[in-house]
Parts: sequence; C-alpha cells; structure tokens
Amino acid sequence: MSDALVRNLAIPLAQVLVVLGVASGAVAYMTLIERKILAFMQLRLSPRRVGPHGILQPIADGIKLLIKEDITPTRADKLLFTLAPILTVLPAFTALSLIPFSGGGKFTLFGYEFFPWIADVNVGVVFLLAISSLGIYGIMLGGWASNSKYPMLGALRSAAQMVSYEVPFGFSIIGVLMLSGTASMVGIVEAQRQAHLWYFAPQCLGLFVFFVSGVAETNRLPFDLPEAEAELVAGFHTEYTGMKFAFFMLAEYVSMMVIASIVTTLFFGGWLRPFPNVAALGWLNFGLDHLHPALPGFVWFGLKTFLVLFVYLWLRGTFPRYRYDQLMNLGWFWMIPLSIANVVLTGAVVLLVAR
Amino acid sequence: MSVTGFLRKFLLLEMMQGMWVTLKNQFRPHITVEYPKETVEFAPRFRGVPRLRKDPATGEELCVSCLLCEAICPTECISIVSEKRPDGKGKQLVSFTINYERCCFCGLCVDPCPTKPITAIYMSHDYELAGYDRDAYVTAREELVDGKPAKLYTR
Ligand code: SF4
Ligand code: SF4
Repeated sequence: MSDALVRNLAIPLAQVLVVLGVASGAVAYMTLIERKILAFMQLRLSPRRVGPHGILQPIADGIKLLIKEDITPTRADKLLFTLAPILTVLPAFTALSLIPFSGGGKFTLFGYEFFPWIADVNVGVVFLLAISSLGIYGIMLGGWASNSKYPMLGALRSAAQMVSYEVPFGFSIIGVLMLSGTASMVGIVEAQRQAHLWYFAPQCLGLFVFFVSGVAETNRLPFDLPEAEAELVAGFHTEYTGMKFAFFMLAEYVSMMVIASIVTTLFFGGWLRPFPNVAALGWLNFGLDHLHPALPGFVWFGLKTFLVLFVYLWLRGTFPRYRYDQLMNLGWFWMIPLSIANVVLTGAVVLLVAR
Repeated sequence: MSVTGFLRKFLLLEMMQGMWVTLKNQFRPHITVEYPKETVEFAPRFRGVPRLRKDPATGEELCVSCLLCEAICPTECISIVSEKRPDGKGKQLVSFTINYERCCFCGLCVDPCPTKPITAIYMSHDYELAGYDRDAYVTAREELVDGKPAKLYTR
C-alpha cells in the first residue's frame, strides 16, 4: 500500500472504527451504569444476575434484542420504517467525529502520525449544531411510517420539542465562541488553556442553558415527552421491535455522549487537566505522560464526560417529567431569553475588556 | 412574590434540594428484599390464595357444603358439588374447586362461612402462583385441603 493511501484512507478508517467501537461499547455499559445509578438513588438493587454484579447484562440485552421478532406493521411504509432508525443513529455518530478526545497535537504510532480526533473542522461547533438537529428526521419518519397514531403523536411532540430547544441550544454556545474567537473544537480548548480559565466560570449562564437544552434535545428525563409511556405508550418508537428499537436507544445514548463531550470541550476544558499551565501540578497526569503524552488527555476527557453523564442520570433520578406546556414555556420563556441575555452580556464584557 | 421567594425560584434552590436527596441516597444501603432468596414476614391477615382446611383437632371435614361462599364470591370462581351423607345427616363434599385465574383474593368467601370459630375456607399465606398451563389454576379439593407443598424458588 502506498504511503498516501495509508495516510488518507487507512488511518482515518482505523480512527473511525476505533471511535465507533469505543462509543458502542460505552453506550452498552452506560445502560448498565444508568440502571445502577438509578437503582442506588431509589435504594434498590440493580441488575446483578448476569455476571458478577451484572457486568454481562449489556451483552445479554444485546443478544435478547437481536433474537427478538422484527415486526413491521401492516401498511407501514416499509422503506422509511427501516430507514428511520438508521437516520437517527447516523447523525449521532457523525457528531462524534468532531470531538477532540485528547490534546498534545499529533502522536506517532507505527511510524505514522495520528491525531487524537477524527476531524478538526474550523466550523466545528456550527457543524455539530447542524448535525445534531438532523436526528429529528429519523424520529419524525419513524413516527410517520409506523402507520399508527401513537407514534405519530409522539413524533409530532418530539418535533415541536426539539425545534424549540434547538434555538437556545445554538444561542448558548455563542458566548463561548466570542470568548475563544474560534469555532474549532480544538481551538476552543486551546483558547481555554491560554486563558488559564475553563469557560464554565464566565459562561455559567451559557452552560446552564446549553445543558438544559441538551437534555431536552436528547429527549432525556425530565424532558422525555416524545416517549411519555403514560400517555403515548412509548411515543415514536411504539411500533418498533428488536434491533430497530435498539437503534433508537443507541442514538439516544450516543447523543447523550455527544452532548456530554461538547459540554466537556466547550465549558470544562476538554482534555486539559485542572490548571493545565501550572507545571507543579504535573502529578495530575498520573505519570501517564511518560508513557505517552496524549494519554492523560484521554483520561481527563473521559473523566469529565463521565461526570457530565452522571449529572444526566442524576437529573433522571430526581425530577418528575415536565408537562408539555411547561416544557414549551421553559423553552420559549426562559431558555431563549436567558441565552440571548448571555450573548449580550458576553459581548459587552468582551468589548470592554478588549478595549 | 417576595424577594426571597423569587430568589429561591430563580436560583432553582428547591431543585437543588431534591438533587441533594438523590445524591445522598446513592450511598445508603439498599432496602430491597431479594425475593427468591429471602421473603418478608407476612402480616397475620395477609390474603394469599383461599384454601380449605380440616379441623386441626379432630381431622374431620369442616366444610358443611352450605354453598354460602359460592354464593357470595363476586367472581364466581368457587364451585362446590356435594351429596347427602349416607346416615342422612347433612351433606358431604364431592368436589370443591376454586379457579385461581378468576379469584381476586377479596376474602369475601371467608366471611359467611358458618363453621366458626375455625372457618372451613380461609385465606392462606400461599402466594407463589406461577404455573405453566391454565389447568394449574384450577385446584382440586385434595390440593385445597392439604395445601400445595411450598415451592422454593431459590437458586
Ligand atoms: S377470595 Fe373472593 S374471589 Fe376469591 S374465592 Fe373468595 S370470594 Fe371468590
Ligand atoms: S361457606 Fe364454608 S362451610 Fe359453607 S360451603 Fe363454603 S367453605 Fe363450606
């Protein structure tokens, strides 16, 4: 194989495969962790029958979903019905390609240079927003193609919810972009390193709005109205079974991970350890940088992302579901004005300081 | 709204309180009863499946086939067949079936049973009712009287 072929085809492909594999594995185990955390919050036990402390449970779940009967409702639109889960999963995974998992620039392996991310686009954040709003097509099509009124209602609610939270979701990032002066994910983390400051402090309002909108975007509790099982018998995926259903769940969890990664990158300094410029705190790298300079980055990124995901599950364990009009109220009356106020405030401060 | 009230609401203090509760719960021991391995103590009037019994002192049949329980049962799940005794005094049970598929464990059948103080029909503490076919839910008289042997689901 020629050198160019390896560099332009094989390496990106390998990176994509690694990210896909790690993300899928992480999703599988996130379902277990979620069940554990929720159970502990309710003083319950969690799955413990499959393997010691239930660590094989995700595998058992996967096998169960694979061998379940795959039902397509009569007179459903067969093509769209099959396409919808794929359409939901693809954007979720695509968003992962922009996340910088570690820093330190490129590192070499087998004589070839790698970046610890798949792509560093200089409009990264904008592209992420665009991609994350595509997931709704899958949900809409799935609801519509099922030829049943419950999925249809669920899909419509989902559309309304996702559209209304898309606006504050986008607005709340602008503050970060103003502070860092770039829209590249790697650039934003670099800017935080140079500023000696993670952006959650000056952008606490933005972080709050972004996280709440992110939770609403991914249809997680307390905003899981599209699948409100009490009113809609599970919403847009009522008619889905087996692996197709699993794809919707996969998309949901991958989107959660994406949101958590974005929060980590934009507001908590991405792969940076606390006080990244203070050399005396080098022990925070756990000595991993002697092994490889990129390793502590992975560890810190994973740690922070997990903490954000924990907050996701924590919210789920704490709050009851919002009523639909309350949800809309929160989105349009609170989140959007707050995010705009954040933009104006940040703009004013940046202008004053820059002078 | 008072200023403190507004601040409480605006800073989401109540929500924080709720989240603090769930966070604390993370570290408390669980209170689940691991059912197949362990069971709880039942209250004395716990209502499991209704069963028949014989007089514990003499071992004689308590039921006098008065059909009161059959009459009062709201789901009509009891059916009793009886015949005259050979000596002409009273009746004798031929069959007594309860269809547990329909029984709602209301305990009404126990109330009118005339064989006080020990009623012939009583609500037992047996609650492990799983079965593999529908016949498993129609109990014959022998089973009712002697009670099913307690199944242990422990693995
Ligand atoms: S418990 Fe209620 S439903 Fe069951 S046999 Fe007795 S009267 Fe009928
Ligand atoms: S009420 Fe009591 S005595 Fe009368 S038939 Fe039922 S079980 Fe027998």
